[in-house]
Amino acid sequence: MTWTWSNVWHWAAHPLSWPGFVGMLVGAVLVLLLALLVVMYSIYWQRKFIGWIQWRIGPNRVGPWGLFQTVADVLKLLIKEDVIPTGVDRTLFLIAPIFAFVPAFLVLSIIPFSAHHVFTANLGIGVLFYVAVSAITIHGVMLGGWSSNNKWGLIGGMRSAAQMLSYEVPLGMSIVGVVLMAGTLNLNDIVAAQAHTLWYVIPQIVGFVVFIIAGTAEMNRTPFDLPEAESELVAGYHVEYSGFRFAFFMLTEYVYLLAMGGLMATLFLGGWTGPFLPGWLWFAIKVFAFITFQFWLQATMPRMRQDQLMSFSWKVLLPLAMANLVITAVVKALV
Amino acid sequence: MALTDETDVVRTEEMLLNVGPQHPSTHGVFRMVVKISGETILEAEPVIGYLHRGTEKLAENLQYTQIIPYTDRLDYVSAMLNNYSLVHTVEEALGIAIPDRAEYIRVITMELNRLASHLIFFGTYLLDLGAMTPFLYAFEEREKIIDMFNELCGARITFNYMRIGGVKYDTPPGWLEQVDAFVKRMKGEMVKYRNLVTGNEIFLARVRGVGKYTTEQALGHGMSGINLRCTGYNWDLRKKKPYSIYDRFDWEVPLGKNGDCWDRYILHMEEMEQSLRIVEQALQQIQPGPVLAKVPKLIRVPAGEYYSGIEGTRGELGFYIVSDGKDKPYRLKIRRPSFENLQILPIILKGVPVGDMVAILGSIDPVLGEVGA
Amino acid sequence: MFGFLKGLGVTISQLPKKKVTLMYPDEKPEWPERFRGVHRFIPELCTVCNQCARICPTSCISLSGARDENRKLRIETYDINSDICILCSLCTEVCPTEAILMSDTFENASYVRDDLYLDMHWLYNNELEYERRHPDRAIPETDVQKKAGD
Repeated sequence: MTWTWSNVWHWAAHPLSWPGFVGMLVGAVLVLLLALLVVMYSIYWQRKFIGWIQWRIGPNRVGPWGLFQTVADVLKLLIKEDVIPTGVDRTLFLIAPIFAFVPAFLVLSIIPFSAHHVFTANLGIGVLFYVAVSAITIHGVMLGGWSSNNKWGLIGGMRSAAQMLSYEVPLGMSIVGVVLMAGTLNLNDIVAAQAHTLWYVIPQIVGFVVFIIAGTAEMNRTPFDLPEAESELVAGYHVEYSGFRFAFFMLTEYVYLLAMGGLMATLFLGGWTGPFLPGWLWFAIKVFAFITFQFWLQATMPRMRQDQLMSFSWKVLLPLAMANLVITAVVKALV
Repeated sequence: MALTDETDVVRTEEMLLNVGPQHPSTHGVFRMVVKISGETILEAEPVIGYLHRGTEKLAENLQYTQIIPYTDRLDYVSAMLNNYSLVHTVEEALGIAIPDRAEYIRVITMELNRLASHLIFFGTYLLDLGAMTPFLYAFEEREKIIDMFNELCGARITFNYMRIGGVKYDTPPGWLEQVDAFVKRMKGEMVKYRNLVTGNEIFLARVRGVGKYTTEQALGHGMSGINLRCTGYNWDLRKKKPYSIYDRFDWEVPLGKNGDCWDRYILHMEEMEQSLRIVEQALQQIQPGPVLAKVPKLIRVPAGEYYSGIEGTRGELGFYIVSDGKDKPYRLKIRRPSFENLQILPIILKGVPVGDMVAILGSIDPVLGEVGA
Repeated sequence: MFGFLKGLGVTISQLPKKKVTLMYPDEKPEWPERFRGVHRFIPELCTVCNQCARICPTSCISLSGARDENRKLRIETYDINSDICILCSLCTEVCPTEAILMSDTFENASYVRDDLYLDMHWLYNNELEYERRHPDRAIPETDVQKKAGD
């Protein structure tokens, strides 16, 4: 096969070659930069949005309208001393943030950001990949809580392990409904399947609700932010972390916000499809709506209790997702 | 290998957890030593005294007027009531008649302060439960009350406003109208709070049936105020042992039923509405006049023992004065409601999850300045 | 059921509300006339009666005076240890000539405790500053002379 310049951007469809590898690398770096940018400005938007809701003005000192506030915060975290308390399990303490962050970044590789999926792996088992890889983060969070030799951290780590495992199940179940309708696990194909029909949010409305709830719990966001409940557990699993290791945990949380938003847009809201505007803009709008909704929830909701959280997942969400799945299958078989 | 009974079960160990003194939800420097097994509390022991400043001992070397600024610093979120409780006891001992306008100003400021204190309860309780926004709304309204107090007496927290025989200043021009406007606004805010929080299912699930105790337990631990009324026991000193001019107003004592966190929360909200009612009526009835009775410059309480309690924000707030006829008390004992209310913690914390610990502690609504005194 | 939707409605409806933040170091709060900030002191008015030092609950005022050629008491030193002052304003209440008053100076954080020991000079400067900030609240010069004279 002859090599052309376009191979750099269409590496997914061709056998691996050196230019293709370079393209992959460039793509990965670009996605990382994109993720960092989105994370920075979702934190900024979070502070502004919640500030407005609470009659405050939010960040306003660094840069015009405080636009560089998060940049300054990140810089501060990066140049801080890397404190490793005595008494921690050193190795685990050091690798836990990496364990948490790497999967968060990995799952971005399958999110179809735009119609020309340049930076998207056209993976046949895309949905499965997301669910499987994102589960690795639990280890990082749990190890971080356990290895820091802190009682609050331990409780936080254990809580998050229990919570994320429990909510993985309804999350997966709610996705299966979409997969059944589209007949494929490939996220690009799921988007394509929605392009001609209704967005799946309408036929899969139950699955959508379950997905939003389970997704929120999966990301440890309010009202399911028990692992880092600051009023109970001080800070939860990352209580002993500071500097850039803490930044990694923070980054994980917000990259997942982006990834989960991307997954939601892809599965239920037709991904990058939409009239008039370019595909990437549609995608951005959908993800932005998801992120804003999360912040809105954060500004309104109190926190659940651990046992309520568990029984809610197993007794309410899971049967709901199952019922949705069965109904979808039956309807699909009949039609 | 045969499994014996001991190796059969996984042996787990209890963990001793130190909650506080620097913990975000202990409402000050309060410490609890909690023994937990998993997420369940087996034993809880409150450790009190991190904010002890020896107010009672200090008072023995101070004239009665000089003690007033110290009472500001007991329950620092409702200082007007502390001020009043002290001057009320001294006035009862001296048998001074208070000018009518002074009494009205006192009731208005006290009820506004009760409102401000309950607003803090509302905000911080929801913050304990993980909701941040109600806190900022509540503090904004409290800020308005505090700004009004600032205009009235020159300080935002430590008012030092009541004097033996009346109050320090008359109201500045336009102040009563300001209070009136605030009361009207606050009524709308109460509706907002109800929509925002009281109907929220997660909130209900967190507070219903949590931290229950019976009337007998509450009485046995010397609890008072909302913490007693939530069990359905009708005991409000403003009604039962009327002081000041509370008998001139038409208002009710809201009562709970189950003695759980929900009852305590809803009683706070209802008391805020009753306070607004009292303030509203007081604003209609207040007449111009003097605000300070004629009292000797150096106050000497006749020898003897005097006690009078008022319905503070957190319960019965009383000052017990032993006087030997000098201008300083021989001994001053303060009945601090938060201190008494906290004593039930080891009982109601037994067997609850860690998440409920902050919900229960927050619903008791202690102020650590008062606990430590 | 679905009470939380009401809550979501409440929070979103607050978005366009006027913000209450005060841009603090750029904008200073307007303090009312009765505000109790750090003291200000007018030496001409002081009769060295020592009442302020006696009423002070924390004993943070110390002063000394001497008789001048007309055998009138004149203040010589007047110190307030604002480290332990609780700003209760009892001293201004008992002062018969209103020589000691409260100002609206409220920013007196410092790295060293010695800075919190305010002498007569500092307190008088604070008075001048206060009059400059609030010309409407200044005591008329004639009053000062009249009170100082008798």
